[in-house]
Amino acid sequence: MKLLTHNLLSSHVPGLRPGGGFPLRIEAAEVRVRPVPFNAAFVSRLVPRLRWEALREAAESLGRPSELPPEPLPDYEADEEFLRRLHHVLLEVEVLEGSLQCPDSGRRFPISRGVPNMLLSEDQ
Amino acid sequence: VGCDRSKNLVDICGEKHFQAFVCDALSVPIRSGSCDACISIAVIHHFSTAERRLATIQELARLLRPGGTALIYVWAMEQEYKNQKSKYLKEKNGSKNKDKEMNTGTAQRPLSDPGPDNSTQDSAWSDQLLKDLNDESSGAKPVADFRLPVHTNRTSFHSQDLLVPWHLKGGTKKKEESVDKMLVPGGSKELEELSPVFHRYYHVFCEGELEAVCRSLDCVRVQKSYYDQGNWCVILEKL
Repeated sequence: MKLLTHNLLSSHVPGLRPGGGFPLRIEAAEVRVRPVPFNAAFVSRLVPRLRWEALREAAESLGRPSELPPEPLPDYEADEEFLRRLHHVLLEVEVLEGSLQCPDSGRRFPISRGVPNMLLSEDQ
Repeated sequence: VGCDRSKNLVDICGEKHFQAFVCDALSVPIRSGSCDACISIAVIHHFSTAERRLATIQELARLLRPGGTALIYVWAMEQEYKNQKSKYLKEKNGSKNKDKEMNTGTAQRPLSDPGPDNSTQDSAWSDQLLKDLNDESSGAKPVADFRLPVHTNRTSFHSQDLLVPWHLKGGTKKKEESVDKMLVPGGSKELEELSPVFHRYYHVFCEGELEAVCRSLDCVRVQKSYYDQGNWCVILEKL
């Protein structure tokens, strides 16, 4: 699971408060870094879709020193160094084993071989 | 990012280094309004009631940002349309052409692969009961004696609700082998040697049906509605 994916995922446990269940807390047992070809336009277009603070928290929780500023830099589209750092955090760091925990209900969803299993049990 | 109800299928995506997760289409764990585009290919036709099919489209719409679009493909009841048979019907006499067609990458290639390679001879009515229908329909008559027809692969559909056989390949089975023995009733020792058959539920859609379901939602607009190789398709825009 890359951090881009994590930024989109939200707990869907029933009965949460509006806006609840996000972001999921990452408990990582195995993390891998794998290079991915850099595409500045792609990364740049992602910025408006991201929940920035959740991304920073996720990067920090994986023990990566946060290379990201508190907010996206103004004129980030033209800032290649910023985009490259963002590219690395979003696309090159993967959680292979571990779990995602709902911040409201505490429910855990396992991640195995890079794949989160978000299925709820029958009674949820 | 992709998702599916089948953990094993999603694991294959993971092995190929795609981003994917396991979930149910009725409850997708993605924050609302975060997607520019979604696709739902050969999924909604597996849901057994109109309410559940509508709910999957509502869920799809929830994921889209305003202006975002969704593409939905479902199996059509009409496998022959405007005097043209779909590829599903054309491949009735064996799958030897199938590999070639899958590799051509032309616009004709169906996006949903309808069913197994092997044709079966059975067109028997299944005694299988659908408990779901009993549980889910509110106010509907009890359906204790409801039976679903088992489809004969690579033929036209005679019913909108049916079970389609799927053969889990054992690896050693030759295509030329007679398949008549496959469905000998329990007790035959030949059954143990053969690969298992699973019956998968489908609700195939009539012309206009998918579009009508989508139009019943206020939050989306039907941008385009068309037929493609045995599938009914819509493109929706989130309002």
